[in-house]
Amino acid sequence: MTELDPHAWLAEHGDYLFRVARRQLHSDELAEDAVQETLLAALSARARYTGDASPRTWLTGILKHKIVDLIRRQARDVELPRDQDGEEAVDLLFKQDGHWAEPLRPWGNPHTEAELSQLRRVLDECADRLKPVMAQVFSLREVAGLETEEICKELDITPTNCWVLLHRARLFMRQCLELNGFTQAGAA
Amino acid sequence: MKWMPTCRETTELASRALDARLSFADRIALRLHLAICDNCARFNQQIQDMRRFFRAETADDTMPGLADDARQRIETELQKKLGS
Repeated sequence: MTELDPHAWLAEHGDYLFRVARRQLHSDELAEDAVQETLLAALSARARYTGDASPRTWLTGILKHKIVDLIRRQARDVELPRDQDGEEAVDLLFKQDGHWAEPLRPWGNPHTEAELSQLRRVLDECADRLKPVMAQVFSLREVAGLETEEICKELDITPTNCWVLLHRARLFMRQCLELNGFTQAGAA
Repeated sequence: MKWMPTCRETTELASRALDARLSFADRIALRLHLAICDNCARFNQQIQDMRRFFRAETADDTMPGLADDARQRIETELQKKLGS
């Protein structure tokens, strides 16, 4: 069985855990909190470590719970979305008859490590720009992979509200990517 | 929903299809519209690509790591707990 060495956790996994948390929490401070809470919780729970998973996988499992905790706590401080939030911005994307206002451009097809890394950077930047609740719902669904029902429970919103937020978030993310040059002609 | 949804309505259906099971009528409406509309077909493909990109890799070595002061703070907390 793999031995756990808490003294090495920060040096060996600190950056990794921070990056995972940063992508979902959209804030350096919250991501730092998540890492700290994860390592402290891991310290308390280290007797239960069975060695089935690598220390990194085990720590990442604890981190996922901490991230959801932090989002839930943060959600209490954020004003709940009203139905009309972001609707004007969606209106701009479509004509009055419901057709697209502008044709959609095809995305490039990133292959190299540099292209993928550039894409991930733009995706993260665009996600950071979403409105707080929208960013939380989007992250819980698209990054953390939670089911809609779990998200509704976590954030205390209705499924319909959740779908509306996800729809708007996806429209904005897509547009943000396009505006940042992630199209076939201008792909990095 | 009418027999043929608008582009705007189609993006709602395409998005919801990633999160829930659509009714039979909605599935047909979505498929009909996607078959004749390049923009919406592209939207549908791109939101699926986006999910793939987000879920493919949770962390990337080129992203900034922990800041020095945060690392120091966490180290202090860990030592406190290890010592107690």
